[in-house]
Amino acid sequence: MAGKGKMNIEHLGAVARLREEHQKVVKDCESRVLHWKKVSGDYEALNDRLKTLPDQLSYDIMVPFGPLAFMPGKLVHTNEVTALLGDNWFAKCSTKQAQKIVDHRMKYVKSELNDLSKTMKNFEARVGLVKDLETISSSKGGYVDIREDTENTDIAVTKGKQRKAHKPNSKPKLDAVLHLKKEVEENEEESRDGGSGKDITTKEELWARLDELEKLEELQDEQDRLSYNADMNGEDTSSFSSEEEKEGDAAPPENGLGQKPSWTSAPHSKAQPSSDREAEDDDEEEEGGGLPTIFFSHTTEPKKVRINTGKNTMLKFSERKEQKDLSKRKNKNGHSNGHSHHELHKISTPADIYRVFVDMKNGEPIPRKSILKSRSRENSVCSESSESSAADFEERRMTGRSLSHDDTTHSDTSDGITEEESPTAVPLHPASRFEAFSGTVVEKDPMPSAVPHLTIAPPALPTILERKQEEVAPDVAPPQQAPKRVSKFKAARLLQK
Amino acid sequence: MAEAIQKKLKAEVEKYSQMQKDVSKSMSARQKLETQLAENNIVKEELDLLDTTNTVYKLIGPVLVKQDLDEAKATVTKRLEYINGEIQRYETLLKDMEKKSDNHRELLSSLQQEYQRAQGLAVGKV
Repeated sequence: MAGKGKMNIEHLGAVARLREEHQKVVKDCESRVLHWKKVSGDYEALNDRLKTLPDQLSYDIMVPFGPLAFMPGKLVHTNEVTALLGDNWFAKCSTKQAQKIVDHRMKYVKSELNDLSKTMKNFEARVGLVKDLETISSSKGGYVDIREDTENTDIAVTKGKQRKAHKPNSKPKLDAVLHLKKEVEENEEESRDGGSGKDITTKEELWARLDELEKLEELQDEQDRLSYNADMNGEDTSSFSSEEEKEGDAAPPENGLGQKPSWTSAPHSKAQPSSDREAEDDDEEEEGGGLPTIFFSHTTEPKKVRINTGKNTMLKFSERKEQKDLSKRKNKNGHSNGHSHHELHKISTPADIYRVFVDMKNGEPIPRKSILKSRSRENSVCSESSESSAADFEERRMTGRSLSHDDTTHSDTSDGITEEESPTAVPLHPASRFEAFSGTVVEKDPMPSAVPHLTIAPPALPTILERKQEEVAPDVAPPQQAPKRVSKFKAARLLQK
Repeated sequence: MAEAIQKKLKAEVEKYSQMQKDVSKSMSARQKLETQLAENNIVKEELDLLDTTNTVYKLIGPVLVKQDLDEAKATVTKRLEYINGEIQRYETLLKDMEKKSDNHRELLSSLQQEYQRAQGLAVGKV
């Protein structure tokens, strides 16, 4: 503190001197300004005089004789004036010309005045600053010098490195999650100690912390996006057909818009793998973890799960399992609804929920079609619409898949057993549903059997079948034996024939 | 030893002060030239504005001597050029002087150090 005090005193002295100097300059400026103002005043007077002088041919005046005497006299040649041009040069000219000269000089004087006033302002400002500085250094005023001691040089070092870390994710997400806690602790420590001196760890921790924060942000964004994108559901699902993986998830088109968290995330899951994975996980957690979940009131009756889906507020339980069991039969009834109920009750994955949403019609539970899907073509002849055909294709696939999957547990492994069943099941199923269908039923595997093997889909969701007859036909038409993939459009076209 | 240095120092200081004076002199001369330059510029402008009808006088001592306008113009122009040349000369002179003075200053400071050291030694000895 002694040193500081000394510095203050010295500082004070220097500052005082500075202030004095500044003030000197200001004073000088002021004096010059005065001078120029006077000059300009003189010139103004001269101008007036020159204006009035030629009014008369001659004036009667008192001519000064020496310093004390005057003589009456006359002023003649009133228009002739001898003007000093500068540097001992004179010019005889008329008053008007003289006036011009005067104007010139006036301009020059004005410019000088302007410059001077500017400099004066500058210096005045400086003086003010210096005054403040003086008060600060003398610590008289209410000014306080804010100082922050940076003890940890590592932080400064890592700052630059941190910048580098801001590039796109270099570390996998897991790292961020794992390090989270550790980071927090360490950071707290750091802030407390003001730099604990663990050089290496702090640097790395900081990097990791940064990355993890980044990821958290991304997560947040994605989650927001997901909830935001609830409305985008239909559009997303329409593109499903091109994505094999979206088997069960495609079905969800019906997923209640009201159920944002789990449902909406699921269809998007494939579209946005990483985040959706999480979302799905979340869903699953919600499902099984006892977190705020959607509770189904399962009754013996064809189950009504109230979900706000817009047009249809009632979603019924799916009887997928039943379908599978009855796959061989043409007319299946909702036999042992209760039984299927129980199975359906058991929801361990988000996909299971979709099985719940099923329309009841003609005794045959049919998965609900997404409300977002256009229903305009319900009864239309056209079946080429990508949307519907895509959806249908998707559904077909899902049907097949669901059949295959349902056989086994809710595992993702494909099953060969149900595969065989699926082909037969599918064509029969739709046929039974639509009595009006009069076309021939061509058995064809709606979905390549290889596909389900590849997919990692959760247990198939009940496909939303809001069939049109034409669409159903294609469903049945495709040869079951062909495991090769048929594009939905082609399939539709083929079937349309 | 210290005394010798002291003497030396004094001499050097005098030289330095002399140099400084020279510098300031040349500086002031240059400034004067600058003002003259400005003035002559104005005169030139004024003369250009004038026409032959008015007579131009030159003040030589207490006498106003009539001058021809063209003559006056020529004279003024020549004077202007002369002034410019003078200014240039003075500038170079000033620069040289500045350099010399700087060198001298350094010399002085080194001498001073020596002197102080000598002083210290002397004190120590004593």
